[in-house]
Amino acid sequence: MNSIVSIRDVVKEYELGTTVVQALRGVNLDVQKGEFLSIAGPSGSGKTTLLNLIGCVDTATRGVVQVAGRDTARLTERELTDLRLNTIGFIFQSFNLVAVLNVFQNVEFPLLLQRKLGAKARKERVMSLLEQVGLHTHARHRPSELSGGQRQRVAVARALVTEPLLVLADEPTANLDSETGNQIIDLMKELNVKKGTTFIFSTHDHKVMQHANAVIRLADGKVLARESAKDAVAHALSLGEAPTAEARA
Amino acid sequence: MSRLGMLLQIAWRNLLASPINLIIGGLILAGTLLFVVVGGLLDSLNDSMARSVIGSVAGHIQIYSSKSKDELSLFGGMGGDPELAAVTEFPRIKEAVEGLENVKEVVPMGSSGALITAGNIVDVTLEKLRNLIKARAGSADDPRLARLTPEALDARISATRRHVRQIIRVLEADQKKALAILKDQAIDPDVVASLEKVSQDAFWDDFDQDPWGSLEFLENKIAPQVTDAQLMFLRYLGTDLDQFQQSFDRMQVIDGTPVPKGQRGFLIAKLFYEDQMKLKNARRLDKLRDATANGRLIASDDELKRFVKENRTQTRDIVLQLDDLKTAEATTKLQAFLKSTDPDLTALLSTFFDTTDENLEARAAFFYAELAPMIELYKVRIGDTLTIKAFTRGGAIQAVNVKVYGTFSFTGLEKSPLAGNTSLMDLMSFRDLYGYLTVDKAEEIKRLQQDTGAQTVTRANAEDELFGEGATIVAEATAGIIDEDKTFTGVGRRLREDDLVKRVYTDSEINSGVVLNAAVMVKDPSQLTATIEAINRLSEEKNLSIKAVSWQQASGILGQIITFFRGVLILAVLFIFGIAMVIINNAMMMATLQRTQTIGTMRAIGAQRSLVLTMVLTESVVLGVLFGGVGILLGTGVMAWLHQRGIPAPNDVAYFFFSGPRLLPDVSSGNLAIALVIILAVTLFSTLFPALIATRISPLRAMQADE
Repeated sequence: MNSIVSIRDVVKEYELGTTVVQALRGVNLDVQKGEFLSIAGPSGSGKTTLLNLIGCVDTATRGVVQVAGRDTARLTERELTDLRLNTIGFIFQSFNLVAVLNVFQNVEFPLLLQRKLGAKARKERVMSLLEQVGLHTHARHRPSELSGGQRQRVAVARALVTEPLLVLADEPTANLDSETGNQIIDLMKELNVKKGTTFIFSTHDHKVMQHANAVIRLADGKVLARESAKDAVAHALSLGEAPTAEARA
Repeated sequence: MSRLGMLLQIAWRNLLASPINLIIGGLILAGTLLFVVVGGLLDSLNDSMARSVIGSVAGHIQIYSSKSKDELSLFGGMGGDPELAAVTEFPRIKEAVEGLENVKEVVPMGSSGALITAGNIVDVTLEKLRNLIKARAGSADDPRLARLTPEALDARISATRRHVRQIIRVLEADQKKALAILKDQAIDPDVVASLEKVSQDAFWDDFDQDPWGSLEFLENKIAPQVTDAQLMFLRYLGTDLDQFQQSFDRMQVIDGTPVPKGQRGFLIAKLFYEDQMKLKNARRLDKLRDATANGRLIASDDELKRFVKENRTQTRDIVLQLDDLKTAEATTKLQAFLKSTDPDLTALLSTFFDTTDENLEARAAFFYAELAPMIELYKVRIGDTLTIKAFTRGGAIQAVNVKVYGTFSFTGLEKSPLAGNTSLMDLMSFRDLYGYLTVDKAEEIKRLQQDTGAQTVTRANAEDELFGEGATIVAEATAGIIDEDKTFTGVGRRLREDDLVKRVYTDSEINSGVVLNAAVMVKDPSQLTATIEAINRLSEEKNLSIKAVSWQQASGILGQIITFFRGVLILAVLFIFGIAMVIINNAMMMATLQRTQTIGTMRAIGAQRSLVLTMVLTESVVLGVLFGGVGILLGTGVMAWLHQRGIPAPNDVAYFFFSGPRLLPDVSSGNLAIALVIILAVTLFSTLFPALIATRISPLRAMQADE
């Protein structure tokens, strides 16, 4: 089986005071290696919760989440951290770069945590990635000296530097203008094609969605459909023309 | 960049990012600086005081009887001298303790004090007159007077008589002044009449017809009118003088000579000699010169103004010392010097002693060159025999005569009252004064026993032997005329005799007999504690009944002063670091809460909790080491500067603590190491809680949008 992520009957509940809120209500999902998958859905549909479970930063209340063949419910805190370090790359909506480190150091950070490569190999790896994201000339810059798009490129480079099997991106373009957003998605797509890295990203932007191989459409904590990007965009557009419906959803 | 390098860089950059770190750093810096500088100063003070105490009286270790009621306190305690039991087996103890590896020498000691009176000038002059007349009658006490020719004796008697008459003139002048102020009734008419009688030529014309009666009249009626006899408290240390000088190498004889080996003798502490025995006017002139040489000005210094005022009003000690001829000579000299025509010596002296910053040097020079040779500058002269009376432990009064061979002081401690107030006495005289059996007394008792046929009566058999049948001890008392000279051939009498002063005692005679304590000089002072333990063990093994204490313990309150200041320093440093800890804790807590997203991101991308913990702790260690390091460097710099410059002793007492006129402080590597450890402990401890909180930050926080 080529699934890198396998989710079976997953339920995620949050306790909010005395009430229990179900963020995910029995989700089933398989993600194959090399996929460029988008998770779409309106705010509150459970996109981020689903990504958190896949990213091993949270655990399911019920059901099974398998990442790279390992059942995350059975792993210790330390093992989960190792799994994140070695298997998963993260791209965040707010870029989440370490402000006090420069571009090079931010990208190098996961490699230092891994302790697998020597200084020279690390440098080569980091510079090669910075070149791929077009920031090799900015290696010594601090994040505060970069534009939003540049910061997200750094984040992409950092996510890919450990050569993970899977990269998760939560609304990676939400804080960018549409042109820059497109460039980031193009970059991700390019790396997906070149390196065969699996990408799962959440978005509610149909322009972003259309780059995906497939789109998982979520609503009210359930997977409504797994469809092609074209169908998903069409669906989103139809909802966009009927905003009351989107608000309801 | 390595992992540690990255953590250090994060720490460094985070430090620069927050201004509160500057405040924390400032506190750490201040605390460290304080610790290094004040700690270093206290260490240096401790060292120099150790040199003073060890070098002047205590030696490295003191031993005393373990049966003593009080603890040994060489400089006296709150309640006066401690009550020490006598060490009776000193030779055995000395031999045993000197057998220990690190012990160089054991110097026997005993300290006590006595009040001595320097008789007033009338007493002294009348006594001189009495001795001269006695010599003329052919029964001189003083062999030196017996050698004088009748002409020489007559000349001296005439000069002394003139001196007495001069004194009477001064007293008369005093009385006239008193009568002018007081009502007639306030003055005893008998006193007025006596003075009038002796001031008339008739009294002196008839003097030689009844010299003893005339002298008695003067002694009984005139001498009591001069009440300025000075009581002096003389503190002395009885010791083996020869060994003392060898062991305490800072001791130096200033005037006179050391006491010849094995002989009885007295060395007066130089400072005491100057302060207590010197003519007050001369002493005050010295002090004025000393003060002005150190930059103080009479014009603006209240203490110096007081000295001048006292010098102007207290000239009687000089006036009373001069006979009529010398009075005239002094008056002429002063008139010429002051360009005055005033015939009154007292008035001239008062004008002369009106010293200012401008004329002080010239007047002091004139005083020492012209006036001093006419008078006695010191109440006790080198070579005099000093009679010291003290209460023995039994409560009886004991007196000894000791020859004053000279004065001494300890190098570097010349001005210290603590080191300069205790004079030195031979052990024999000390034992006599303290009321213990000495060789002389033992011999005396043996001789008396033989002479009188006295037998020792044991307590158990006392009743039988004294009152039982066949008792032979009780002698029959017979009434008779008592010849005092023959009766009092006991110790008190013999001690006054010359041969005792000249007698040379052997080392074994000096050592056998009681001592109160003893100084132990060691070869390696760093092994002090071990040596003290060794002596105490030895005492138990060999049943020596002695207790060994360090110089610090032996110096009583004085030794604890540094410990007290160290306590204050530790409290101050604890206070500063306590505040620093609270602030560091709060600041790191705030910093941690502000960085939850960064920490969450790090956790999300694979950082273990341990890394987060290390990261936060590294940050505070960097802060501590950086500012603490600057504090240490600054502190070392300050100490180096102080060492180069030296801290001048602010007053005479400080001489003792500074072990000289200047303290040259050093910084010890031990203090620097302790400072570093304290900084690390404080910063790590105060960051531990925020660091633990940081490890609890969930990687989920990374997923949340900007806070």
